[in-house]
Amino acid sequence: MVQPIISARNIKKHFDVSGGILKAVDGISFDIYPGETLGLVGESGCGKSTAGRTIIRLYEPTEGELYFNGKNIYELPRHEMQEVRRDFQMIFQDPYASLNPRMTVEEIVAEPLDIHKVYRNQKEKHEKVIELLELVGLNEEHANRFPHEFSGGQRQRVGIARALALNPKFIVCDEPISALDVSIQAQVVNLLEDLQKRLGLTYLFIAHDLSMVRYISDRVGVMYLGHMMELAKSEELYDNPIHPYTKALLSSIPIPDPEIQRSRKRIMLEGDVPSPINPKECCRFVERCPYAVGRCHETTPEFREITEGHSVACHRADEIVAGTAKPTK
Amino acid sequence: MKADVQYSKDMFEKASHEDRNADKIRRPSIKYWPDVWRRLKQNKLAMTGLIIIILMIIMSVVGTHINGFDYKQQDYSLINIHPNSVHWFGTDELGRDLFTRTWYGARYSLIIGLLAAAIDFLIGVLYGGIAGMASRNVDAVMMRIAEVIYSIPYLLVVILLSVVFSTSGAGTSMFVLILAMSLTGWVPMAILVRGQVLQLKESEYSLAAESLGATKGWILRKHIIPNTLGPILVNVTLTIPRAIFAEATLSFLGLGLQPPKSSLGNLANDGLAGLPVGNGYQILIPAIFISLIMFAFNVLGDGLRDALDPRLRK
Amino acid sequence: MEKVLEVKDLAVSFKTFFGEVEAVRKISFDVGKKETVAIVGESGCGKSVTANSIMQLLPMPPAFYKGGQILFNGEDIVTKTEKEMQKIRGNKISMVFQDPMTSLNPTMRIGKQIVEGLIKHQHLSREEAQKKAIEMLELVAVPQPEKRAKQFPHEFSGGMRQRVMIALAMVSNPQLLIADEPTTALDVTVQAQILELMKALQDKLDMSIILITHDLGIVADMSDKVIVMYAGQILEQGLTDEIFKNPKHPYTRKLLASVPRLDMDRNESLHSIEGTPPDLYIPPKGCSFYDRCDKAMKICKDNMPEAENFSKTHYSCCWLNHPMAKDVAEGREA
Repeated sequence: MVQPIISARNIKKHFDVSGGILKAVDGISFDIYPGETLGLVGESGCGKSTAGRTIIRLYEPTEGELYFNGKNIYELPRHEMQEVRRDFQMIFQDPYASLNPRMTVEEIVAEPLDIHKVYRNQKEKHEKVIELLELVGLNEEHANRFPHEFSGGQRQRVGIARALALNPKFIVCDEPISALDVSIQAQVVNLLEDLQKRLGLTYLFIAHDLSMVRYISDRVGVMYLGHMMELAKSEELYDNPIHPYTKALLSSIPIPDPEIQRSRKRIMLEGDVPSPINPKECCRFVERCPYAVGRCHETTPEFREITEGHSVACHRADEIVAGTAKPTK
Repeated sequence: MKADVQYSKDMFEKASHEDRNADKIRRPSIKYWPDVWRRLKQNKLAMTGLIIIILMIIMSVVGTHINGFDYKQQDYSLINIHPNSVHWFGTDELGRDLFTRTWYGARYSLIIGLLAAAIDFLIGVLYGGIAGMASRNVDAVMMRIAEVIYSIPYLLVVILLSVVFSTSGAGTSMFVLILAMSLTGWVPMAILVRGQVLQLKESEYSLAAESLGATKGWILRKHIIPNTLGPILVNVTLTIPRAIFAEATLSFLGLGLQPPKSSLGNLANDGLAGLPVGNGYQILIPAIFISLIMFAFNVLGDGLRDALDPRLRK
Repeated sequence: MEKVLEVKDLAVSFKTFFGEVEAVRKISFDVGKKETVAIVGESGCGKSVTANSIMQLLPMPPAFYKGGQILFNGEDIVTKTEKEMQKIRGNKISMVFQDPMTSLNPTMRIGKQIVEGLIKHQHLSREEAQKKAIEMLELVAVPQPEKRAKQFPHEFSGGMRQRVMIALAMVSNPQLLIADEPTTALDVTVQAQILELMKALQDKLDMSIILITHDLGIVADMSDKVIVMYAGQILEQGLTDEIFKNPKHPYTRKLLASVPRLDMDRNESLHSIEGTPPDLYIPPKGCSFYDRCDKAMKICKDNMPEAENFSKTHYSCCWLNHPMAKDVAEGREA
């Protein structure tokens, strides 16, 4: 039985804001196995980015445990955490903002090496930087240039090179392709997959583009307002979604095929995503759920395994699987 | 397709991979400061200011040697002479050549102004940087302290300090003067730096550095400060005329440097007596130069601010 | 079909510090009545510049019309004065932008913004305009319109704001709506709502739409005709079915192949296009896709290909269409 490399248990991250408490992440648990890509999807405000940052302790958690190779990293003292940081890296969403505009590409990629004082020899450090740049499809002539001279896709590749500098085991990809053009997205995703195979990396891939997440992930989790609604193997989630939210989400995504689009039936959700501030104790999706009944307004559903490897947080999950659930709206 | 144009068959062979350069960068590299300089050069007013400053600095060094008179040489036979071909700016009531004294005074005005601004810069950046990076509570305390300090009028501080560090004769020593001006003058710079730090602390590249394991100090040094240098530079450039004017005011009120040292402010004070008796040039000339220096720095500072503004790039 | 807009050989450039940047290089297309034309392309391809130049919204300088015509109802927009344009903008041609927050006045109540638009363009009295404003909010499915009309933009969510933007654009019953990435900033469930809304409004008001997007799914869902732009040029143009079923240009093909689809096999690889679009500061002499095209031939580097028609509505600009390129086009390299 393979042990997970990452085990998240009941992670919560709350923020104090002027209106009350913003529960960005409100109790999510999952495992990530070595070499796999776990996708995390959801719409704005669902907490997926916050989750990603809390998992690598960029934000201090409000509650919860995160086990990395057996150790709870939230309990580690500062210097031990520094060591662990070498194994955890992050790739950020905005390739225009995640690179310091005043540093050259070489300086940017070398920064993790400098922080952890990996190389004493300047020449060796330089060679490592070039090696990293070549790994992502750039080369030496790009090293002395500044971020603003590159396109979004190239900048993102610099960000990836930087994330690889310390030979990490686990990388959180926080919407790494959302800000890129379509053809470049494919480039970056292919690069990430290639690197994963070559270097044995494990990814948490956070995105809102469900088509892309389905493609790159082995398993996918769907978040809504700080809760995990559904988690399953990629194919299983997309072929047999159980949670009403997942179903609606999947049916909203336009497919680039005019014939198919014309004949598709869409599940239209009414209204907008409600606010994560001071949420009531209930199923977070209750306001927009076409299947909502009494108990959905009263208690938060448990996130449990319904079929093998497929977990859902829904009071009526069994009924939905059995096909006996009737919509109430 | 043009049927009439004949193309050779080999033109329709595939191009080699090397021939195509997919990731080519065509534009020449623009570095940050050279680009700022280029934009500044386009601003004629700012360049005028810069030239005036450079000329002032040069003249304050060599100006005292040009026409052969000594700044403190008194000649009672030559008192209160209006500007003429020998004494280009005339003489004062003690027969001293005003041309030489003007440049002598400019030297002190500039030195004091620049030193005060430099100290403001150092203390301000340090204080503001620490406050910005510190926790909310520490930051709040630091800012309250700064505000209290800033509300103390520097005039009072000068008087208090000159009493404490009293020396014989009227006036204050240069050390005390600079100390008094910088004691409260660093606060605007600190507030500016703190604001910048707070903003840049949240930038994605700062966050990225943090995820790489960087300490707060590292982030401040390597990421935040270099990106705030622009606004800081503008602020320094605009602090200088403030300091010069502050010193001129103090000197004008008699709290400035003690003779025989004198700045332009002292000169203006000395020249005041000449006003009602028709020797207006004695106050007019130092006043003009004070104004000129301030104008030049202000205009340069404004120009720098525009040159640094990414939205105004043409 | 009656033509609402005819763009003929339009060229728009920008004067910059580096020199002239040719953002739009001689493009031509038509928009018919009640037709939805999608302009697809990546960032920097010139689609936004095209949209803005139809409304004469580009700052001039540094932009300038280098050549061509934009015929709206037979009159050339390129030659119109600002005063004349004000009668057209927001009136006969309306625009909806990507980020509604920057297009709405944050200090004015939503209802008031619509009312002002109505008074200006439809010359209604204040009373009539206020009534109509509520109707418009209902038209775009804003719940509780009377209450919402008194609120400020920041009190609305992204999806609601976009609906308000659309309401504002509809105020004058425009003939043409230009929607520049209208749903890019929105969540996918909200996007679905907005697209349905646009379709419904188009039906009701007999409106033509120019839809600018990079999302091929939206294109398949909404458009009748597709224009594929790259580096300021149109590489391929055709009816939606033609483009998706029978793409001719290597770029179009690669673009379609690089988009992951919900219904594709996960083990299929995603085709990506190596490299990045060229900088239009020194536009390439030949085909602008040369550097990134894996079927590129020697002739492509310095010679600009011409349009080849595959049907009355479908053409592409590519040397592979040339009879002498048959070997390469069919995969039999020399």
